[in-house]
Amino acid sequence: MTFAIETSGLQFRPGRGFEISNLNMHVPSGALYGFLGPNGAGKTTTIRLLLGLTPKQSGSITVLGRSMPGGSVDVMARTGYVPERPHLYPTLSVDETLRLHSAFHVRWDSAWADELKRQFSLVGERRVASLSKGETGKLMMLLALAQQPELLVLDEPTDGLDPVVRRDVLEALLGYVSSHSATVLISSHLVHELERICDWIAVMDRGRMVAELPMQEFKDGIKRLVIADVARTTKEPPFTVLARKQSNGGEQWLVRGWTNGMRDYFAHSGGTLREVIDLDLEEGFVELLRSFRGAA
Amino acid sequence: MTTRPSRWRALFETQWKWTRGVLLLIAVTTFALPLLSLRSSAGARDDSSFISSIQAWAVGYAFVAAGLGLLVGIFSWSYDHRLRHVYALSLPVERWRYSLMRFTGGLALISLPVATLFVSAEIVAHSSLVPPMLHAYPVALTLRFAFAALVAYSVFFAISSATARTAGYILATIGLLFVLDIVLRSAGSRIDVLGHVTDILFAAPGLLAVFGGRWMLIDV
Repeated sequence: MTFAIETSGLQFRPGRGFEISNLNMHVPSGALYGFLGPNGAGKTTTIRLLLGLTPKQSGSITVLGRSMPGGSVDVMARTGYVPERPHLYPTLSVDETLRLHSAFHVRWDSAWADELKRQFSLVGERRVASLSKGETGKLMMLLALAQQPELLVLDEPTDGLDPVVRRDVLEALLGYVSSHSATVLISSHLVHELERICDWIAVMDRGRMVAELPMQEFKDGIKRLVIADVARTTKEPPFTVLARKQSNGGEQWLVRGWTNGMRDYFAHSGGTLREVIDLDLEEGFVELLRSFRGAA
Repeated sequence: MTTRPSRWRALFETQWKWTRGVLLLIAVTTFALPLLSLRSSAGARDDSSFISSIQAWAVGYAFVAAGLGLLVGIFSWSYDHRLRHVYALSLPVERWRYSLMRFTGGLALISLPVATLFVSAEIVAHSSLVPPMLHAYPVALTLRFAFAALVAYSVFFAISSATARTAGYILATIGLLFVLDIVLRSAGSRIDVLGHVTDILFAAPGLLAVFGGRWMLIDV
Protein backbone atom coordinates (compact mmCIF):
# COMPACT_ATOMS: atom_id res chain seq x y z
CA MET A 1 0.00 0.00 0.00
CA THR A 2 1.30 3.46 -0.89
CA PHE A 3 0.46 6.51 1.14
CA ALA A 4 -0.43 9.98 -0.11
CA ILE A 5 0.28 11.35 3.36
CA GLU A 6 2.53 9.80 5.96
CA THR A 7 3.77 11.22 9.24
CA SER A 8 6.08 9.69 11.77
CA GLY A 9 6.66 10.91 15.31
CA LEU A 10 5.24 14.32 14.45
CA GLN A 11 5.57 16.72 17.33
CA PHE A 12 4.28 20.26 17.66
CA ARG A 13 3.74 22.37 20.75
CA PRO A 14 2.52 25.89 19.98
CA GLY A 15 2.40 26.92 23.62
CA ARG A 16 1.25 25.74 26.97
CA GLY A 17 -1.71 23.42 27.26
CA PHE A 18 -1.83 21.80 23.83
CA GLU A 19 0.49 19.70 21.77
CA ILE A 20 0.48 17.34 18.83
CA SER A 21 2.32 14.39 20.28
CA ASN A 22 4.07 11.58 18.41
CA LEU A 23 1.55 11.62 15.59
CA ASN A 24 1.79 8.72 13.15
CA MET A 25 -0.64 9.10 10.29
CA HIS A 26 -1.03 7.07 7.12
CA VAL A 27 -3.44 8.21 4.40
CA PRO A 28 -3.54 5.54 1.68
CA SER A 29 -3.35 6.78 -1.92
CA GLY A 30 -6.81 6.94 -3.46
CA ALA A 31 -8.57 6.77 -0.10
CA LEU A 32 -11.36 8.94 1.19
CA TYR A 33 -9.88 9.44 4.60
CA GLY A 34 -12.11 10.86 7.29
CA PHE A 35 -10.28 12.75 10.00
CA LEU A 36 -12.56 12.78 12.98
CA GLY A 37 -12.22 14.49 16.31
CA PRO A 38 -13.99 16.84 18.67
CA ASN A 39 -13.42 20.59 18.45
CA GLY A 40 -9.95 21.44 19.71
CA ALA A 41 -8.59 17.94 19.07
CA GLY A 42 -5.82 19.31 16.83
CA LYS A 43 -7.21 18.46 13.39
CA THR A 44 -6.67 21.92 11.90
CA THR A 45 -3.19 22.21 13.40
CA THR A 46 -2.31 18.80 11.98
CA ILE A 47 -3.56 19.81 8.53
CA ARG A 48 -1.54 23.02 8.66
CA LEU A 49 1.54 21.00 9.62
CA LEU A 50 0.93 18.52 6.79
CA LEU A 51 0.77 21.30 4.20
CA GLY A 52 3.74 23.22 5.57
CA LEU A 53 1.59 26.20 6.60
CA THR A 54 2.90 25.79 10.15
CA PRO A 55 6.48 24.63 10.69
CA LYS A 56 6.82 21.28 12.51
CA GLN A 57 9.09 20.97 15.53
CA SER A 58 10.15 17.36 15.06
CA GLY A 59 9.16 14.18 13.26
CA SER A 60 8.75 13.59 9.56
CA ILE A 61 5.98 14.44 7.10
CA THR A 62 5.75 13.07 3.57
CA VAL A 63 3.00 14.29 1.25
CA LEU A 64 2.67 12.95 -2.32
CA GLY A 65 6.17 11.56 -2.02
CA ARG A 66 7.72 14.88 -1.00
CA SER A 67 9.18 15.65 2.37
CA MET A 68 7.47 18.60 4.04
CA PRO A 69 7.78 21.50 4.46
CA GLY A 70 10.66 21.49 1.92
CA GLY A 71 8.48 20.20 -0.92
CA SER A 72 5.57 22.51 -0.25
CA VAL A 73 5.63 24.31 -3.63
CA ASP A 74 5.34 21.03 -5.55
CA VAL A 75 2.82 19.63 -3.06
CA MET A 76 0.60 22.73 -3.13
CA ALA A 77 0.58 22.59 -6.95
CA ARG A 78 -0.91 19.10 -6.68
CA THR A 79 -3.15 19.70 -3.67
CA GLY A 80 -6.53 21.37 -3.40
CA TYR A 81 -6.96 22.90 0.04
CA VAL A 82 -10.14 24.10 1.65
CA PRO A 83 -9.31 25.63 5.04
CA GLU A 84 -11.58 25.77 8.03
CA ARG A 85 -12.08 29.54 7.77
CA PRO A 86 -12.60 31.47 4.52
CA HIS A 87 -9.20 32.56 3.23
CA LEU A 88 -10.15 34.41 0.05
CA TYR A 89 -9.62 38.13 -0.59
CA PRO A 90 -12.95 39.74 0.34
CA THR A 91 -12.69 42.67 -2.07
CA LEU A 92 -12.35 40.49 -5.18
CA SER A 93 -15.36 39.28 -7.13
CA VAL A 94 -16.00 35.60 -7.73
CA ASP A 95 -14.62 35.87 -11.27
CA GLU A 96 -11.55 37.79 -10.11
CA THR A 97 -10.92 35.13 -7.49
CA LEU A 98 -11.12 32.40 -10.14
CA ARG A 99 -8.76 34.37 -12.36
CA LEU A 100 -6.23 34.86 -9.55
CA HIS A 101 -6.35 31.21 -8.52
CA SER A 102 -6.10 29.94 -12.09
CA ALA A 103 -2.87 31.89 -12.61
CA PHE A 104 -1.09 29.73 -10.05
CA HIS A 105 -2.36 26.31 -11.14
CA VAL A 106 -1.13 24.94 -14.44
CA ARG A 107 -3.75 22.18 -14.52
CA TRP A 108 -6.62 24.64 -14.01
CA ASP A 109 -9.70 23.51 -15.93
CA SER A 110 -11.51 26.71 -16.97
CA ALA A 111 -14.41 24.93 -18.62
CA TRP A 112 -15.06 22.85 -15.56
CA ALA A 113 -14.67 25.88 -13.28
CA ASP A 114 -17.41 27.61 -15.29
CA GLU A 115 -19.55 24.49 -15.11
CA LEU A 116 -19.13 24.29 -11.32
CA LYS A 117 -19.87 28.00 -11.00
CA ARG A 118 -23.16 27.44 -12.80
CA GLN A 119 -23.88 24.27 -10.85
CA PHE A 120 -23.22 26.07 -7.54
CA SER A 121 -25.28 29.11 -8.68
CA LEU A 122 -22.37 31.49 -8.03
CA VAL A 123 -22.62 34.94 -9.62
CA GLY A 124 -19.30 36.02 -11.16
CA GLU A 125 -19.69 39.73 -10.42
CA ARG A 126 -20.47 39.36 -6.73
CA ARG A 127 -17.77 40.25 -4.24
CA VAL A 128 -16.48 37.50 -1.98
CA ALA A 129 -17.32 39.67 1.05
CA SER A 130 -20.98 39.68 0.06
CA LEU A 131 -21.27 35.90 -0.31
CA SER A 132 -23.15 33.85 2.25
CA LYS A 133 -21.34 31.18 4.24
CA GLY A 134 -22.71 28.50 1.93
CA GLU A 135 -21.67 30.38 -1.21
CA THR A 136 -18.18 30.96 0.19
CA GLY A 137 -17.91 27.26 0.99
CA LYS A 138 -18.95 26.39 -2.55
CA LEU A 139 -16.47 28.86 -4.03
CA MET A 140 -13.61 27.41 -1.96
CA MET A 141 -14.57 23.89 -3.07
CA LEU A 142 -14.77 25.08 -6.69
CA LEU A 143 -11.24 26.48 -6.49
CA ALA A 144 -9.90 23.28 -4.96
CA LEU A 145 -11.56 21.05 -7.56
CA ALA A 146 -10.93 23.08 -10.72
CA GLN A 147 -7.18 22.97 -10.17
CA GLN A 148 -7.51 19.17 -10.69
CA PRO A 149 -5.49 18.08 -7.68
CA GLU A 150 -4.16 14.63 -6.87
CA LEU A 151 -4.87 15.29 -3.21
CA LEU A 152 -7.72 17.21 -1.61
CA VAL A 153 -7.30 18.41 1.94
CA LEU A 154 -10.60 19.65 3.27
CA ASP A 155 -10.80 21.11 6.77
CA GLU A 156 -14.41 21.03 7.94
CA PRO A 157 -15.60 21.93 4.41
CA THR A 158 -19.29 21.59 5.20
CA ASP A 159 -19.29 23.00 8.72
CA GLY A 160 -22.18 25.40 9.13
CA LEU A 161 -23.61 24.77 5.67
CA ASP A 162 -27.27 23.98 5.17
CA PRO A 163 -28.17 20.45 4.01
CA VAL A 164 -28.79 21.49 0.40
CA VAL A 165 -25.43 23.23 0.03
CA ARG A 166 -23.71 20.39 1.87
CA ARG A 167 -25.17 17.89 -0.56
CA ASP A 168 -24.07 19.99 -3.57
CA VAL A 169 -20.54 20.27 -2.22
CA LEU A 170 -20.21 16.58 -1.37
CA GLU A 171 -21.69 15.53 -4.72
CA ALA A 172 -19.13 17.63 -6.57
CA LEU A 173 -16.38 16.18 -4.41
CA LEU A 174 -17.45 12.57 -4.91
CA GLY A 175 -17.88 13.16 -8.63
CA TYR A 176 -14.33 14.43 -8.88
CA VAL A 177 -12.87 11.64 -6.76
CA SER A 178 -14.59 8.93 -8.76
CA SER A 179 -13.37 10.33 -12.09
CA HIS A 180 -9.82 11.29 -11.05
CA SER A 181 -8.91 8.67 -8.39
CA ALA A 182 -7.75 11.46 -6.12
CA THR A 183 -6.96 11.05 -2.43
CA VAL A 184 -9.13 13.00 -0.02
CA LEU A 185 -8.37 13.94 3.57
CA ILE A 186 -11.54 15.40 5.02
CA SER A 187 -11.69 16.56 8.59
CA SER A 188 -14.98 16.93 10.37
CA HIS A 189 -16.77 16.53 13.64
CA LEU A 190 -19.92 15.56 11.73
CA VAL A 191 -19.68 11.82 12.17
CA HIS A 192 -22.61 10.81 9.99
CA GLU A 193 -21.23 12.77 7.06
CA LEU A 194 -17.93 10.92 7.14
CA GLU A 195 -19.66 7.59 7.70
CA ARG A 196 -21.45 7.96 4.38
CA ILE A 197 -18.50 8.89 2.20
CA CYS A 198 -15.22 7.72 3.75
CA ASP A 199 -13.48 4.38 3.41
CA TRP A 200 -10.81 5.13 6.03
CA ILE A 201 -11.26 6.75 9.38
CA ALA A 202 -8.88 8.32 11.85
CA VAL A 203 -9.88 9.60 15.25
CA MET A 204 -7.87 12.28 16.97
CA ASP A 205 -8.25 13.68 20.44
CA ARG A 206 -6.10 16.06 22.48
CA GLY A 207 -3.36 16.04 19.86
CA ARG A 208 -3.06 12.26 19.76
CA MET A 209 -4.17 9.66 17.23
CA VAL A 210 -6.71 7.44 18.95
CA ALA A 211 -7.48 5.12 16.03
CA GLU A 212 -6.72 4.81 12.32
CA LEU A 213 -8.25 1.99 10.32
CA PRO A 214 -10.55 1.16 7.38
CA MET A 215 -14.08 2.42 8.01
CA GLN A 216 -15.66 -1.01 7.73
CA GLU A 217 -13.20 -2.49 10.20
CA PHE A 218 -13.96 0.33 12.60
CA LYS A 219 -17.70 -0.13 12.31
CA ASP A 220 -17.55 -3.93 12.43
CA GLY A 221 -15.12 -4.04 15.29
CA ILE A 222 -16.97 -1.87 17.80
CA LYS A 223 -19.86 -3.70 19.47
CA ARG A 224 -21.93 -3.62 22.59
CA LEU A 225 -22.05 -7.06 24.23
CA VAL A 226 -24.82 -8.02 26.64
CA ILE A 227 -23.35 -10.55 29.08
CA ALA A 228 -24.72 -12.63 31.93
CA ASP A 229 -22.69 -14.44 34.62
CA VAL A 230 -19.93 -11.93 34.29
CA ALA A 231 -18.33 -12.78 37.62
CA ARG A 232 -17.15 -16.13 36.30
CA THR A 233 -15.27 -14.70 33.30
CA THR A 234 -11.67 -14.48 34.49
CA LYS A 235 -9.67 -15.02 31.29
CA GLU A 236 -8.10 -12.07 29.45
CA PRO A 237 -10.40 -11.30 26.47
CA PRO A 238 -9.06 -11.32 22.86
CA PHE A 239 -10.73 -7.94 22.24
CA THR A 240 -10.37 -4.54 23.92
CA VAL A 241 -12.98 -3.65 26.50
CA LEU A 242 -13.61 0.08 26.19
CA ALA A 243 -16.33 0.37 28.83
CA ARG A 244 -18.39 -1.79 31.19
CA LYS A 245 -21.68 -1.03 32.89
CA GLN A 246 -24.25 -2.95 34.95
CA SER A 247 -27.45 -3.88 33.16
CA ASN A 248 -30.40 -6.08 34.22
CA GLY A 249 -28.40 -8.37 36.46
CA GLY A 250 -25.61 -8.67 33.94
CA GLU A 251 -23.26 -6.28 32.22
CA GLN A 252 -22.96 -4.44 28.97
CA TRP A 253 -19.46 -4.25 27.52
CA LEU A 254 -18.41 -1.87 24.85
CA VAL A 255 -15.63 -3.61 22.96
CA ARG A 256 -13.26 -2.90 20.12
CA GLY A 257 -11.67 -5.41 17.77
CA TRP A 258 -14.62 -7.80 17.94
CA THR A 259 -15.11 -10.66 15.48
CA ASN A 260 -17.73 -13.41 15.61
CA GLY A 261 -15.05 -16.04 16.27
CA MET A 262 -14.51 -14.48 19.67
CA ARG A 263 -17.83 -15.81 20.97
CA ASP A 264 -15.83 -18.88 22.06
CA TYR A 265 -14.13 -16.74 24.65
CA PHE A 266 -17.32 -16.64 26.70
CA ALA A 267 -17.95 -20.38 26.26
CA HIS A 268 -14.48 -21.16 27.59
CA SER A 269 -14.35 -18.58 30.34
CA GLY A 270 -17.74 -19.36 31.80
CA GLY A 271 -19.62 -16.17 30.91
CA THR A 272 -22.79 -16.12 28.85
CA LEU A 273 -22.99 -13.88 25.84
CA ARG A 274 -26.66 -12.93 25.41
CA GLU A 275 -26.49 -10.42 22.56
CA VAL A 276 -24.08 -8.60 20.24
CA ILE A 277 -25.36 -5.12 19.34
CA ASP A 278 -24.03 -3.20 16.30
CA LEU A 279 -23.11 0.41 16.93
CA ASP A 280 -23.13 3.16 14.36
CA LEU A 281 -20.03 5.26 13.81
CA GLU A 282 -21.16 8.04 16.10
CA GLU A 283 -21.75 5.74 19.06
CA GLY A 284 -18.45 4.01 18.39
CA PHE A 285 -16.69 7.36 18.09
CA VAL A 286 -18.14 8.68 21.34
CA GLU A 287 -17.33 5.53 23.27
CA LEU A 288 -13.85 5.38 21.78
CA LEU A 289 -13.14 8.93 22.92
CA ARG A 290 -14.64 8.23 26.33
CA SER A 291 -12.39 5.23 26.87
CA PHE A 292 -9.35 7.11 25.51
CA ARG A 293 -9.95 9.98 27.89
CA GLY A 294 -10.60 7.58 30.74
CA ALA A 295 -7.29 5.83 30.07
CA ALA A 296 -5.48 9.17 29.75
CA MET B 1 -14.51 31.05 -19.84
CA THR B 2 -11.82 32.36 -17.47
CA THR B 3 -8.48 32.94 -19.21
CA ARG B 4 -5.35 32.29 -17.17
CA PRO B 5 -3.26 35.44 -16.66
CA SER B 6 0.39 35.33 -15.64
CA ARG B 7 1.02 35.00 -11.93
CA TRP B 8 2.55 38.48 -11.71
CA ARG B 9 -0.35 40.05 -13.52
CA ALA B 10 -2.90 38.23 -11.36
CA LEU B 11 -1.24 39.52 -8.19
CA PHE B 12 -0.79 43.00 -9.69
CA GLU B 13 -4.52 43.13 -10.43
CA THR B 14 -5.31 42.50 -6.76
CA GLN B 15 -2.92 45.29 -5.68
CA TRP B 16 -4.41 47.65 -8.25
CA LYS B 17 -7.88 46.90 -6.92
CA TRP B 18 -6.82 47.59 -3.32
CA THR B 19 -4.90 50.81 -4.02
CA ARG B 20 -6.50 52.38 -7.07
CA GLY B 21 -8.62 54.89 -5.13
CA VAL B 22 -5.79 56.33 -3.10
CA LEU B 23 -3.40 55.99 -6.05
CA LEU B 24 -5.59 58.09 -8.34
CA LEU B 25 -5.87 60.71 -5.59
CA ILE B 26 -2.08 60.85 -5.26
CA ALA B 27 -1.70 60.96 -9.06
CA VAL B 28 -4.01 63.98 -9.18
CA THR B 29 -1.97 65.58 -6.37
CA THR B 30 1.36 65.02 -8.11
CA PHE B 31 -0.11 66.47 -11.29
CA ALA B 32 -1.44 69.50 -9.43
CA LEU B 33 1.65 70.29 -7.31
CA PRO B 34 3.93 71.73 -10.05
CA LEU B 35 1.07 73.66 -11.63
CA LEU B 36 -0.02 75.12 -8.28
CA SER B 37 3.56 76.02 -7.35
CA LEU B 38 3.99 77.86 -10.67
CA ARG B 39 0.69 79.65 -10.32
CA SER B 40 1.46 80.82 -6.77
CA SER B 41 4.89 82.08 -7.87
CA ALA B 42 3.76 83.80 -11.04
CA GLY B 43 3.26 87.22 -9.44
CA ALA B 44 6.71 87.34 -7.77
CA ARG B 45 8.57 90.68 -7.85
CA ASP B 46 11.91 89.21 -8.90
CA ASP B 47 13.70 85.91 -9.54
CA SER B 48 14.68 85.53 -5.90
CA SER B 49 11.08 85.83 -4.71
CA PHE B 50 10.02 83.47 -7.48
CA ILE B 51 12.49 80.82 -6.26
CA SER B 52 11.48 81.31 -2.62
CA SER B 53 7.86 80.87 -3.57
CA ILE B 54 8.63 77.71 -5.56
CA GLN B 55 10.74 76.38 -2.69
CA ALA B 56 7.81 76.73 -0.29
CA TRP B 57 6.12 73.95 -2.23
CA ALA B 58 9.16 71.65 -2.11
CA VAL B 59 8.21 69.99 1.16
CA GLY B 60 4.94 68.94 -0.49
CA TYR B 61 6.79 66.65 -2.93
CA ALA B 62 8.67 64.96 -0.07
CA PHE B 63 5.47 64.39 1.90
CA VAL B 64 3.58 63.04 -1.09
CA ALA B 65 6.47 60.69 -1.96
CA ALA B 66 6.57 59.42 1.63
CA GLY B 67 2.78 59.01 1.71
CA LEU B 68 2.79 57.21 -1.62
CA GLY B 69 5.44 54.75 -0.40
CA LEU B 70 3.64 54.27 2.90
CA LEU B 71 0.22 53.56 1.39
CA VAL B 72 1.35 51.29 -1.45
CA GLY B 73 3.70 49.43 0.93
CA ILE B 74 0.97 48.81 3.48
CA PHE B 75 -1.75 47.96 0.94
CA SER B 76 0.56 45.38 -0.67
CA TRP B 77 0.23 43.19 2.42
CA SER B 78 -2.85 44.36 4.30
CA TYR B 79 -5.26 41.72 2.97
CA ASP B 80 -2.72 38.92 3.34
CA HIS B 81 -2.25 39.97 6.97
CA ARG B 82 -5.98 40.10 7.51
CA LEU B 83 -6.32 36.55 6.18
CA ARG B 84 -3.28 35.39 8.18
CA HIS B 85 -1.47 34.67 4.91
CA VAL B 86 -3.36 31.38 4.55
CA TYR B 87 -4.29 31.96 0.91
CA ALA B 88 -0.83 33.24 -0.03
CA LEU B 89 0.88 30.33 1.70
CA SER B 90 -1.41 27.80 0.03
CA LEU B 91 -0.36 28.95 -3.43
CA PRO B 92 2.29 26.83 -5.16
CA VAL B 93 4.96 29.51 -5.19
CA GLU B 94 8.05 30.10 -3.07
CA ARG B 95 7.60 32.76 -0.41
CA TRP B 96 10.46 34.88 -1.73
CA ARG B 97 9.02 34.79 -5.24
CA TYR B 98 5.58 35.76 -3.96
CA SER B 99 7.11 38.70 -2.04
CA LEU B 100 9.09 39.75 -5.10
CA MET B 101 5.95 39.71 -7.26
CA ARG B 102 4.09 41.79 -4.68
CA PHE B 103 7.05 44.20 -4.45
CA THR B 104 7.38 44.71 -8.20
CA GLY B 105 3.60 45.05 -8.47
CA GLY B 106 3.80 47.92 -5.99
CA LEU B 107 6.62 49.50 -7.99
CA ALA B 108 4.46 49.44 -11.09
CA LEU B 109 1.69 51.18 -9.15
CA ILE B 110 4.06 53.87 -7.91
CA SER B 111 5.02 54.68 -11.48
CA LEU B 112 1.56 56.20 -12.12
CA PRO B 113 1.92 59.25 -9.79
CA VAL B 114 5.55 59.55 -10.92
CA ALA B 115 4.37 59.76 -14.53
CA THR B 116 1.72 62.39 -13.77
CA LEU B 117 4.32 64.43 -11.88
CA PHE B 118 6.66 64.28 -14.86
CA VAL B 119 3.94 65.38 -17.30
CA SER B 120 2.95 68.26 -15.06
CA ALA B 121 6.58 69.29 -14.46
CA GLU B 122 7.19 69.27 -18.22
CA ILE B 123 4.16 71.51 -18.73
CA VAL B 124 5.58 73.94 -16.15
CA ALA B 125 9.03 73.77 -17.76
CA HIS B 126 7.58 74.92 -21.07
CA SER B 127 5.41 77.61 -19.52
CA SER B 128 5.96 81.25 -20.40
CA LEU B 129 5.41 82.13 -16.71
CA VAL B 130 8.92 80.92 -15.83
CA PRO B 131 11.28 83.93 -15.69
CA PRO B 132 13.80 83.86 -18.56
CA MET B 133 16.88 83.77 -16.30
CA LEU B 134 15.69 80.70 -14.38
CA HIS B 135 15.76 77.05 -15.44
CA ALA B 136 13.28 74.23 -14.95
CA TYR B 137 14.44 70.77 -13.89
CA PRO B 138 11.47 68.46 -14.55
CA VAL B 139 13.55 65.30 -15.00
CA ALA B 140 15.65 65.89 -11.88
CA LEU B 141 12.56 66.60 -9.76
CA THR B 142 10.77 63.52 -11.12
CA LEU B 143 13.78 61.30 -10.50
CA ARG B 144 14.15 62.61 -6.95
CA PHE B 145 10.44 62.04 -6.34
CA ALA B 146 10.60 58.53 -7.82
CA PHE B 147 13.65 57.65 -5.74
CA ALA B 148 12.11 59.03 -2.54
CA ALA B 149 8.88 57.12 -3.19
CA LEU B 150 10.94 53.97 -3.87
CA VAL B 151 12.85 54.36 -0.59
CA ALA B 152 9.67 54.97 1.41
CA TYR B 153 7.90 52.10 -0.36
CA SER B 154 10.78 49.70 0.28
CA VAL B 155 10.93 50.58 3.97
CA PHE B 156 7.18 50.28 4.54
CA PHE B 157 6.88 47.19 2.34
CA ALA B 158 9.57 45.49 4.43
CA ILE B 159 7.99 46.52 7.73
CA SER B 160 4.48 45.54 6.72
CA SER B 161 5.64 42.21 5.28
CA ALA B 162 6.93 41.25 8.70
CA THR B 163 4.86 39.91 11.55
CA ALA B 164 2.93 42.14 13.93
CA ARG B 165 5.59 41.33 16.52
CA THR B 166 8.38 42.70 14.31
CA ALA B 167 6.35 45.84 13.59
CA GLY B 168 5.86 46.13 17.35
CA TYR B 169 9.63 45.92 17.93
CA ILE B 170 10.20 48.70 15.40
CA LEU B 171 7.57 50.94 16.99
CA ALA B 172 8.95 50.14 20.45
CA THR B 173 12.47 51.13 19.31
CA ILE B 174 11.20 54.45 17.98
CA GLY B 175 9.25 55.04 21.20
CA LEU B 176 12.32 54.18 23.26
CA LEU B 177 14.38 56.78 21.39
CA PHE B 178 11.81 59.46 22.19
CA VAL B 179 11.69 58.45 25.85
CA LEU B 180 15.50 58.38 26.05
CA ASP B 181 15.65 61.83 24.51
CA ILE B 182 13.16 63.24 27.02
CA VAL B 183 14.94 61.60 29.97
CA LEU B 184 18.35 62.93 28.88
CA ARG B 185 16.99 66.44 28.31
CA SER B 186 15.27 66.54 31.68
CA ALA B 187 18.53 65.38 33.28
CA GLY B 188 20.28 68.33 31.68
CA SER B 189 22.34 66.21 29.31
CA ARG B 190 23.72 67.73 26.12
CA ILE B 191 23.28 64.50 24.20
CA ASP B 192 20.64 65.03 21.51
CA VAL B 193 19.48 61.48 20.75
CA LEU B 194 16.79 62.38 18.27
CA GLY B 195 19.06 64.91 16.57
CA HIS B 196 21.74 62.23 16.08
CA VAL B 197 19.25 59.71 14.75
CA THR B 198 17.78 62.30 12.39
CA ASP B 199 21.27 63.15 11.12
CA ILE B 200 22.11 59.49 10.57
CA LEU B 201 18.92 58.91 8.63
CA PHE B 202 18.50 62.14 6.68
CA ALA B 203 22.06 63.38 6.07
CA ALA B 204 23.94 61.80 3.17
CA PRO B 205 24.57 58.89 2.89
CA GLY B 206 21.69 58.13 5.27
CA LEU B 207 18.83 55.84 4.27
CA LEU B 208 16.38 58.73 4.00
CA ALA B 209 18.82 61.34 2.65
CA VAL B 210 16.80 61.69 -0.53
CA PHE B 211 14.05 63.39 1.49
CA GLY B 212 16.45 66.17 2.56
CA GLY B 213 18.00 68.72 0.21
CA ARG B 214 16.29 70.90 -2.36
CA TRP B 215 13.23 69.69 -4.24
CA MET B 216 13.39 72.42 -6.85
CA LEU B 217 11.40 72.35 -10.05
CA ILE B 218 12.69 75.79 -11.00
CA ASP B 219 16.07 77.12 -9.91
CA VAL B 220 18.92 79.24 -11.12
